[in-house]
Amino acid sequence: MAETLVLIELDRQRVKRPSLHAITLAQQLGGDYALLILGSGVAEAANSIISYGAAAVLVADDPALAEPLADRYASVIAQATRQQGAKRLLASSSTFSKDVLPRAAALLDAPMVTDVLALAKVDGAIAYQRPMNAGSKLATVKVDGELCVLTARATAFAMPSANGAPCLIATFAFDAASLPNEMQFVSRELRASDRPDLAEARVVVSGGRPLKDSETFERLVGGLADALGGAVGATRAAVDAGMAPNDYQVGQTGKVVAPELYIALGISGAIQHLAGIKDSRIIVAINKDADAPIFQMATYGLVGDLHQIVPQLIAAIQKT
Amino acid sequence: MKILVPFKSVPDPYAGAGAAAKSVINPFDEIAIEEALRIRERGEATEIVGVTIGAPAVDEQIRSALAMGVDRAIRIDDSRALDPYAISRILRTLVEREAPQVVLMGKQAVDDDSNQVGQMLAGLLGWPQATFVSKIEFLDNKTRAQCSRETDGGIEVIAISLPAIITTDLRLNEPRYVSLPGLMKARKKPIEVINCEQLGVNVHPLTTTLSVASPPRRTAGTRLESVEELVTRLKQEAKVL
Amino acid sequence: MDFAWSDQQRELLDAVDRFASEQLRYDMIENDRNAVFNHDAWKKCGGFGIQGLPVSEEYGGLAQDPITTVAALERLGYGCKDNGLNFSINAHMWTAIIPLVYNGSEAQKKKYLPGLCDGSLIGGNAMSEPNSGSDAFSLATTAVRKGAKYILNGSKIFVTNGPIADVLLVFASTDKAKGAAGISAFLVEKGSPGLDLSHKIEKMGVRTSPMGEVFFEDCEVPEENRLGKEGAGSWMFTRSMTWERGCILAASVGTMQRLLETCIRYANERKQNGQSIGKFQQVATKIVDMKMRVESSRHMLYHCAWAAGRRKAVYLEAAMAKLQISESWVRCCEDAIQIHGGYGYMTEYEIERELRDAIGSKLYSGTSEVQRNIIASMLGL
Repeated sequence: MAETLVLIELDRQRVKRPSLHAITLAQQLGGDYALLILGSGVAEAANSIISYGAAAVLVADDPALAEPLADRYASVIAQATRQQGAKRLLASSSTFSKDVLPRAAALLDAPMVTDVLALAKVDGAIAYQRPMNAGSKLATVKVDGELCVLTARATAFAMPSANGAPCLIATFAFDAASLPNEMQFVSRELRASDRPDLAEARVVVSGGRPLKDSETFERLVGGLADALGGAVGATRAAVDAGMAPNDYQVGQTGKVVAPELYIALGISGAIQHLAGIKDSRIIVAINKDADAPIFQMATYGLVGDLHQIVPQLIAAIQKT
Repeated sequence: MKILVPFKSVPDPYAGAGAAAKSVINPFDEIAIEEALRIRERGEATEIVGVTIGAPAVDEQIRSALAMGVDRAIRIDDSRALDPYAISRILRTLVEREAPQVVLMGKQAVDDDSNQVGQMLAGLLGWPQATFVSKIEFLDNKTRAQCSRETDGGIEVIAISLPAIITTDLRLNEPRYVSLPGLMKARKKPIEVINCEQLGVNVHPLTTTLSVASPPRRTAGTRLESVEELVTRLKQEAKVL
Repeated sequence: MDFAWSDQQRELLDAVDRFASEQLRYDMIENDRNAVFNHDAWKKCGGFGIQGLPVSEEYGGLAQDPITTVAALERLGYGCKDNGLNFSINAHMWTAIIPLVYNGSEAQKKKYLPGLCDGSLIGGNAMSEPNSGSDAFSLATTAVRKGAKYILNGSKIFVTNGPIADVLLVFASTDKAKGAAGISAFLVEKGSPGLDLSHKIEKMGVRTSPMGEVFFEDCEVPEENRLGKEGAGSWMFTRSMTWERGCILAASVGTMQRLLETCIRYANERKQNGQSIGKFQQVATKIVDMKMRVESSRHMLYHCAWAAGRRKAVYLEAAMAKLQISESWVRCCEDAIQIHGGYGYMTEYEIERELRDAIGSKLYSGTSEVQRNIIASMLGL
């Protein structure tokens, strides 16, 4: 029994660290919380999250859950939520949680709030702050009813501390045979990369359309990211031009990032892109157009030609 | 095959600051309409039905959908500020009435950015879902669809049985431009207006937007003159190197 | 008298507004410098429905009346800065499509109109000759019947769309002795044996609208491509010329409106001696005069189209509209340059191009002098 159930996301049987940030929202909401993981062969992952102050780690471990198919996952998540008698079901925002949680909400006959940024008190009741209109507006939303489902922007909640007393790992039993079976996993494109994950990286270097082609993009954006041990991102324009894969896209409809250092190379600063980076601690913009909107929000701006500046910057960083 | 395309009318996200707020079809839903048209054009669908919820003012976007090539449209007359779950429950009754093989819709509306309705509708109907889709192919005599999904980890491909809900991502297609002949043909296409009572569904929103504010803005920082200066600042001032 | 648009007209005109401003915005400085015709934009316009506006639906058009059509073209001129494209489209519509609509046989209409409407075919009109301009009917080009064909010999000059045309409406003398009554019209397809379209002419303005010389050297045209009866050419030309005069500058009214708005913005933004230059009477007066010219041009255009839509003879109205719009357009451009000062003279500000584009309007489709002659004769002088 827990008041809040936090869905933790796995990537190839390992916990995705941004998904742990939702625990901080659970802590802010108050009351006890349990963590829920789904998958196949996930005992080790379950073990890695026992110290986050949860009442329990609930594990749904079955070959039927090897791939995150929304119909099965939502069904198991809804069953677990009911079994726990939870009043809130939450997870960090990701394409995984946005796929399965609204479906689970419908199964639970519950409303949902997407991308919670912060809690607020309105007339003594809890309300949620969330972005709208590509982040250009901030709405305060209240929810009625017994149960609600939330996703939290990982960048808006700190990583929880892992120094709690180890909690119990409980198997969540369900009838795998009765799960829906009308969705099949076919394939997933796997890209081996030594670079850190975009959503988790301390440093992100992104490139825009002026990078021209994928080779230049990799040499300048990738080169600078590697010099800094950072992740690589891209604007929608760069992705659409084929310079970078789709999942590199940073912005409102791509990934929202909030690293310590964000370096924007040749990015003019469309509102959809700025919405995805505005919580970064330091933003560096390098662009040849001195009037580019990105300079209005960059901590440091450098006007000039990328092709000259970036190699100099890589060399200067490597020297330090 | 019949395709139902639910779409939402939203303030034009590309309107410049200060311009009068013109309404348009939610861009993700426009992609869904375009995809439905392409499916029909390659002979895999016979009818495309558009549905939206709103006051008579949204008829303008309905006409745009009809002008793009949607065969007929339904407006569910309800001007309340509904939440995604209430919308999903209304759409469920309409899906049951229309019995489409595919419901195609945008992954999210660009005003509210909730990204919930398609998944909730799939949950309520017990239908399979493919969200954030960038490619659709029908298989096995149109009893299944293979969909490429844009996920955080890259492209994932799944196969789903029909009937199903498919939500569209940006790169599925580039919607066509509404032509004048399309606009004129649209004048002759039927728009059915129906309300929740007639559909036999009683919904109330459970989430309420209490206030909307502008988020705090970042202010412009310092313009630097050289790479050396940037490196020094990043080290000594920002302490990120 | 009702000056209001119907809901359907409003919807159509709004759609053209959006189309032109969203789909036809491209860099004009380079295109103008290199005299590049934008084929892609032409096809977009066809797909959208511009070229087919006045054509009935059975031939792929939209069956719009003249006033809706000219108002739509005005919106095109407002949103699309490519005056050359606008001119090519207007020449195509008024000097190729309209004569075909009025005089074409069923077979000719079925064969050519759908393509001329949807943007896949480009049409033009070949009338002027090296030795006959404003004196239109003294043609040296001849067409001699030979079995089921006509053999054309001669040359045409100032043929708008000539170098890019798929089909040209060519006027030639089938019987020199009869003078104007011996002139016939032919639809000549690109690739016809003996037809040479390759001579492009460099010009001052509307440089993105290709213009050329056309040569016929024993050019074979099948009899079924004769438009109307033998000898009907001059009557046909006079009739289509009336349409051409009245409507060909529809887009220019939109262009003037855009220039006016550009000048108002500039006059409010630009500060001299601590105030916006719009506060200076000499600048304000120029802008007021621009406004007066735009409005009077628009009203004469609409009135001419309205009358044409009621099947009234618009010989006088068309000449007046042509004269008013062309002279206003040139004056507007001059004033716009003057208001912008030295910047207006610079290519980058895209106003000097407008003036170059405007000046030709006082020459083609009948010079200002010809229009004045027509008006004078209609006044009994």
